[in-house]
Amino acid sequence: MSTQTLDPSTLPSLAEQRPQRPWRKRTPKFTASVVLAVVVPAIVAGFLWQTSSIPTPVLMVAIYLPLQLVASTLASLATRGRRGIADSVVIVSAIGATVFSLVILLSLLGSLIVRGWKALSPSFLLQNNVYISPSTPLEYGGIGHAVLGTALIVFLASLVAVPIGIATAIYITEVRGRAVPYVRFFVQSMSGVPSVVAGLFILTTLIVTGALTQSALAGGLAYAILMLPTVARTAEEVLRLVPDELRTGALALGSTRARTVFRVVLPAARTGIVTAIILGIARIIGETAPLLLAAGNSDQTILNPTGSPVASLPTYIFNNVALPYPDAVTRAWGAALALMIFVAILFTLARVLSRGRLGR
Amino acid sequence: MADTDVQERRNLSASATAHRGDRVFNRTITAAAFSALFVLAGIAIFLGAQTIPVLQTQGLSFLTTTAWDINTDPPTAGIWGMLYGSVVLAVVALVIAVPASLMMSIFMVFLAPKRLASMLTNLIDLMAAIPSVILGLWAFYVLNPTAEVWQQLLNQYLGWIPIFQNTSGNFLGTPFIAGFVLAIMMIPIVTSVTREVLSRTPADLVNASEALGCSMWTMLRYVALPYGRGGIVGGIMLGLGRALGETIAVFFVLKIVFDTNWYNIIESGGGSVATLIVSRFGEISGPYELQLLLAAGFFLFIMTLIVNVIANLIVNRTGRLQK
Repeated sequence: MSTQTLDPSTLPSLAEQRPQRPWRKRTPKFTASVVLAVVVPAIVAGFLWQTSSIPTPVLMVAIYLPLQLVASTLASLATRGRRGIADSVVIVSAIGATVFSLVILLSLLGSLIVRGWKALSPSFLLQNNVYISPSTPLEYGGIGHAVLGTALIVFLASLVAVPIGIATAIYITEVRGRAVPYVRFFVQSMSGVPSVVAGLFILTTLIVTGALTQSALAGGLAYAILMLPTVARTAEEVLRLVPDELRTGALALGSTRARTVFRVVLPAARTGIVTAIILGIARIIGETAPLLLAAGNSDQTILNPTGSPVASLPTYIFNNVALPYPDAVTRAWGAALALMIFVAILFTLARVLSRGRLGR
Repeated sequence: MADTDVQERRNLSASATAHRGDRVFNRTITAAAFSALFVLAGIAIFLGAQTIPVLQTQGLSFLTTTAWDINTDPPTAGIWGMLYGSVVLAVVALVIAVPASLMMSIFMVFLAPKRLASMLTNLIDLMAAIPSVILGLWAFYVLNPTAEVWQQLLNQYLGWIPIFQNTSGNFLGTPFIAGFVLAIMMIPIVTSVTREVLSRTPADLVNASEALGCSMWTMLRYVALPYGRGGIVGGIMLGLGRALGETIAVFFVLKIVFDTNWYNIIESGGGSVATLIVSRFGEISGPYELQLLLAAGFFLFIMTLIVNVIANLIVNRTGRLQK
């Protein structure tokens, strides 16, 4: 790791710098400039918002933001001279970028709740889609089959990905063989496999060859490809936190290495392992492309892992999004809200479990 | 990690004279650990095997032409427009996401109060967890109308710049909207890496630069950004890899056309390899077209693999802990 040293020639010479007096209290001039810089653009924008017909987003980005930038620049020019200008630009754009991301996130979650709420009802969560056409009113039909399908697919994916992912982590932190850097590199590269490629892989190896039809198992295997790297990397991080004293202690008592891992290390990292599994599930639960290719779709509740196509929440949303029926679209929003709630629950669970154990 | 620590960890690792049960354990674990390699190799081999006959029938024009005429005899197909379209979307996404993520992480590390910063970290992680199909749904119904207005304004006032030309009057299904959606996917990925890298700027250096009278910009320019450069570039590439492979969110907002949209980013119609696969799979005409899609998937895989490998090499070299 190279630390770049400061090149004195790139800094302004001492003669140009005015002495700074950070211990001095803020001058009235400083306070006045800051207040003016904040208030004036807001007033102008507010005035235009009331009187003109410019759309709000345009007003914010095309008028308020440049105005705020200019005002802050002038304010820092007045209080700190030329060197303050760059700072004020950085500060305004940093706040702007943060607000931009938050607005998008809030718009997403907000529209999800507002539009999805109408669809959510006990029957919507429990019924399936048999006898339901896109134009059927909202009271009938639901996503029960899709919820069960998603649960089945995720369960099958976990059956494959969790043991292998944890074994990979054990190899890296416990077995510590010679290939550790390579294994880590492969896992990292695997986490970049596009979801649609994972679906294509299962399609060409298992479905085209006739070993499986489009089914929950095929979908689960495609999901497992996406889940494995997340589980492996999180589990690795967690196992790393287990103190070596526990391992040496167990070995000193005459335990074999396998026993050390299964009786000491893994139990010590129990919550962390659960977190790894949860994060893996959260990573895959909304993936659509692999299921379109490998699991297909169905209107019925199907609990048989092989033999027939199965519905899932993402494919249900996918199939309802662009239909020209308002009720179908509302169903899509409802299913999306349900999916997002599942993701949020998993996300919160992972956070709560890892609190204190996995210092971030 | 210090050298002695590595040595100590090595000593803890399994020795050659292990217990018999341990040898079985070691072999099982080692075999499982290489499954990532097997999967990667499997994808390359199986999709590659489907690519060979396609390249035999289509020749290299599979990569350099843009027609998708499956029902002619012989069928002609090429994914140049899709490959190029993916790059256009990635560029649009980068132009939006990189400054936004960089500025946001600067805000979180150097400007925001601690509590606000940790709240923002949580929100960004939540944003990363949003499934792409939900993003696509939102983009289709909420973003599309807004983006349409924006693009009309861009076209109206900046239409003299070639990239903002639009002759059709149709502002939906444009690479700009699709790139914007990809940017929303990239922002949390890039921000979380950049934030982590910037927050590791040694406090000594930051304090020293402040003691020397550096303004915040000078500190960023000469201390924090050079210090985190490798990690930031790596994070951007990781986000880029995700953007190139994104399928569903793009599917809803991009009109796939088998033509090369060179630079008209607010003109309806563009391309994306990943989205091509899903959109054609729905109405697939037969085994030959499936083979074409598998071949397209192979090139998508290779493209994202290269980007990801480079990203990981950069990130690992800068000593970032595994996430």
